[in-house]
Amino acid sequence: MNAPARDDARFEREALRWLPDVSRYALSLTRDNGEADDLVQDTFLIAYENWNQYVPGSQCRAWLFTICRNHFYRTRNRAERQVAADAPELEALAAAAIHASAKADGLGDAFERAEVMQAIEQAIAELPQPFRDAAILVDLHDHTYDTASAVLGVPIGTVRSRLFRARRLLQEKLLAYARDAGIAVHKTGFDTRGPAP
Amino acid sequence: MMPMLDCDAVMRQLWDFLDDELTPDRMEAIRAHLAMCERCHPHAEFERAFLAAVAKARREPADPSGLAARVRAALAAEGFAPA
Repeated sequence: MNAPARDDARFEREALRWLPDVSRYALSLTRDNGEADDLVQDTFLIAYENWNQYVPGSQCRAWLFTICRNHFYRTRNRAERQVAADAPELEALAAAAIHASAKADGLGDAFERAEVMQAIEQAIAELPQPFRDAAILVDLHDHTYDTASAVLGVPIGTVRSRLFRARRLLQEKLLAYARDAGIAVHKTGFDTRGPAP
Repeated sequence: MMPMLDCDAVMRQLWDFLDDELTPDRMEAIRAHLAMCERCHPHAEFERAFLAAVAKARREPADPSGLAARVRAALAAEGFAPA
C-alpha cells in the first residue's frame, strides 16, 4: 500500500512560515551562524519527512522547536541531565533578596547598563542545560509556559522551576560580573570606578 | 470583589505575573498591589528591566533570505513542490 501523499501546500503554509523563528532559536542553541543554518535545514528536512505525523491545527511552532532542540542535542551527544530545582515560589522569593543586595551595592540599575547587557549572552550559555533550555524558550523566544512544556516534554511546573532557577542564576552571575567590573553607581550618581588614570 | 494580596504573596507570583501567566483576576490584583506598594513596585521594575535585558540578548541570523533559499532547495531535493 502506498504511503499517503504529503500535503506540500500545507507544509508551506503551516511549517515554513516559522522558518525565521526556528532560525533564531537554532542560533540561540548553537551560538554559531554556520552551525545554526545546518540545524535549521536539518529541522525542516526532518519535519518534512515526518509531516504525516503532524496533527493539523496543533502547535506547529512548538513541534518544529522540539525537532530542532532534539536534533541539536542528539547530534552533539549532549544527553539531557536531570537537575534538581527548588520550588518555583522559593526561587521567586530568592529573586527579591537578590534585588535587595543589588540595591545595597549601588547596582539597582545593573540590568540597564550596557556593560552588563553585553555579558548576558555568555551568562546564558554558561547556565546548566535544563535551566538554559527553559530560559532560551521563554525569555528569548517568547514561549508561554505551556508551549515550553510541549517543546521540552516536561510538565509546566518543571518549566516554571527551571525557568525561575535560570533567572536567579543569571542575576547572580551578572551582578557578580558587575561587582567585579566595578560597575556601581551610588545615589549621588558618581561612578565608583574613580577617575581615569 | 478583587482579593487583597500581601507583599509575600505578590513576591511569590511575581515571575508568573511578569510572564502574563496568571488568571485575569490575579493579574489585576497584583497590578493593583504594585501600583500602591512602595516595597514591591521597585522590585517589580528591577525584574522587568532584567527580563527586557535578557530578551535583547537574542541574536538575529546573519543571512535569513539565503537560509530560506537553502532550506527550500534542500526540501525540493526531497520532492517538496507546493502548489
